[in-house]
Amino acid sequence: MPSRIDLRRLYDTGAQLAPAVHQPQNWPYEVPHDRFEAYMWPPHDVAGQADIPVRYEEKEEEEWELKTYVTCEVLGWKGIWNAEERRRRGNNDLGLSLYYGFPYYGRWIWAAARMLVDKNHVSLTELLEKIAEVRARYGKS
Amino acid sequence: MANRETGNVLARFNVGDRVRVKDLPNLFYSRTQMYVRGVSGVIASRTYQSLVPEDEAWNRDEAQPQQFYIVRFRQKDLWEEYPFDNDTLQTELPEGWLEPATD
Repeated sequence: MPSRIDLRRLYDTGAQLAPAVHQPQNWPYEVPHDRFEAYMWPPHDVAGQADIPVRYEEKEEEEWELKTYVTCEVLGWKGIWNAEERRRRGNNDLGLSLYYGFPYYGRWIWAAARMLVDKNHVSLTELLEKIAEVRARYGKS
Repeated sequence: MANRETGNVLARFNVGDRVRVKDLPNLFYSRTQMYVRGVSGVIASRTYQSLVPEDEAWNRDEAQPQQFYIVRFRQKDLWEEYPFDNDTLQTELPEGWLEPATD
C-alpha cells in the first residue's frame, strides 16, 4: 500500500495526464467536431504533428526491451496473436496520454499482457499475484 | 500474414495510375495516415498481397488479401506550407483505401 504522500503524488500526476484541453464532459457538455476527430485518431499515426528538433542518439536496447521484443515474437510464433497488427492495435488501445507517455517497448509489453488476459491465457488475479511475487523477490513493494 | 509476395488477387491499379486515398472515418485502428486521406498521388509500385491491417488486427485470417501499393505524393499536396516543388513522399497503402483520382 502506498504511503499517503505517494498516493497524493499519484493522483496529482494522473491529473496532469488529462488532456491539456480539459473541460468536464458530464453535463452540460459540448464536444466540438475537431476535438472529436482528434479523440478518434489512432495515437500511433504520429506524423504531421509539430515538434521541436530531437537529438538523434545511437542507443543499445536495454535487456528488458530485448526480452519484450522476443516475448512478443514468440507469442506470434506460438499462434497466440499476430505480432504485427494485433500488437499495434494493443499499443493504440493505450490511448493518447499513455501511448505518448510510455517508451516504445513499454507499449509492446502492455499490449502483450492485455492480450493474454483478454484471451484467458492468464487471469488478471494470477498476473497481479505473479508481479507482486517478483517485486517482493527484488525487495520492492 | 504480412509480406506474402505472390498473391492471386487481380490488382486493380497499375504503376503510373493516379489514385486518391479514401477519406474513411477513424474508429479503433488504421495504418492509413491522416495526412494522405483525400489526397491524390501516383502508383509508384505494386508490392505484395496481404490482409489489410483492419482485418489482421482482429485475426480475420479468412478475409480476402488485398494488393498493396507504394503511392507517391507531392509534398506540396500534403503540406500546404512545404517549400520545395519537386519533393515527394512515398507510403504504402492497400487497394481498398484507394480509388481512381478524378483531379
